[in-house]
Amino acid sequence: MAVLTDEMKKVLKVVGKGGAVVHLTTSSADGKPNIVAERFVTHYKDEYILIADMFAQKTKVNLNENPLGCISIAHPVKDHTWVFRGPCTIISHASPDHYRWHDIVAGEVLNDWGDWATKEPPDEVPPDIAPPKLAQRGVIVLKVEEVYTFDPEHSGQVIS
Amino acid sequence: MSINLTPRMTDWIVANGAHIALATKKGFPTVIVSESIEVNHDTIAVHLTPNQMQQIGNIITENPLAAVAPGQLGSVRAPYQFKGTAKVLESKLEIKVEEIYCTKPGAEAGARLDTLGYKEMKAYEESRWTDLAPRA
Repeated sequence: MAVLTDEMKKVLKVVGKGGAVVHLTTSSADGKPNIVAERFVTHYKDEYILIADMFAQKTKVNLNENPLGCISIAHPVKDHTWVFRGPCTIISHASPDHYRWHDIVAGEVLNDWGDWATKEPPDEVPPDIAPPKLAQRGVIVLKVEEVYTFDPEHSGQVIS
Repeated sequence: MSINLTPRMTDWIVANGAHIALATKKGFPTVIVSESIEVNHDTIAVHLTPNQMQQIGNIITENPLAAVAPGQLGSVRAPYQFKGTAKVLESKLEIKVEEIYCTKPGAEAGARLDTLGYKEMKAYEESRWTDLAPRA
């Protein structure tokens, strides 16, 4: 198990300047990788990262058959060359409130982050790249078990 | 069948680098990031450091499938995913692109672009995006 540092939490929750952007990598059970940029991201407790689930169809298929993911920092990247890897799942709006996944309770996490666009409206996103309508279907949760650097000179070295 | 990348795709990747996703045959995912990239028609060539080579060498040997997404601001301004088959040649990872997807959140998410054909794909981009190249 790895614990997110204060610096990691700060980068995963950048407010203003376009906010934080990460890439979420998943894979089918037979090794077909998939990578997508995600704009709605935050840390949760000390070892979880949350992403809004918005039309993440291939991600959903992959996580159903292979519940593992990597989250890599895309922006702001300077001195923040981290990849977070660990078990990953989707807590959908259809989940019962009492459903638990590791230390995550569905009712609690959806109450906090189930309506991301209202909680943190993406006002800064330019109109040509903003989705016309934000339809959130749940929350993608990654439990951080390992953090490694993607700095090319030290790539793959485990940080925690 | 492979497909050539458009000038917009090429410019955003070359200027902003890319995140390259790989996985073992059993689906254990790994990511490397590079800002040292060339695009030649249908091939994305990533110059690997010794550490990157060590990190992914065995994975590529057992499973050559790769997915690539633009880095930094390209992650939101150029929401593409390139999928293909990779091989290591000397110190370069060469990915022949076989599928291209739009990853913009919303109704376009997951739309496959390469099936439009190169000309239609380029025309779609030119009608769709105001920033055909990253700002200097």
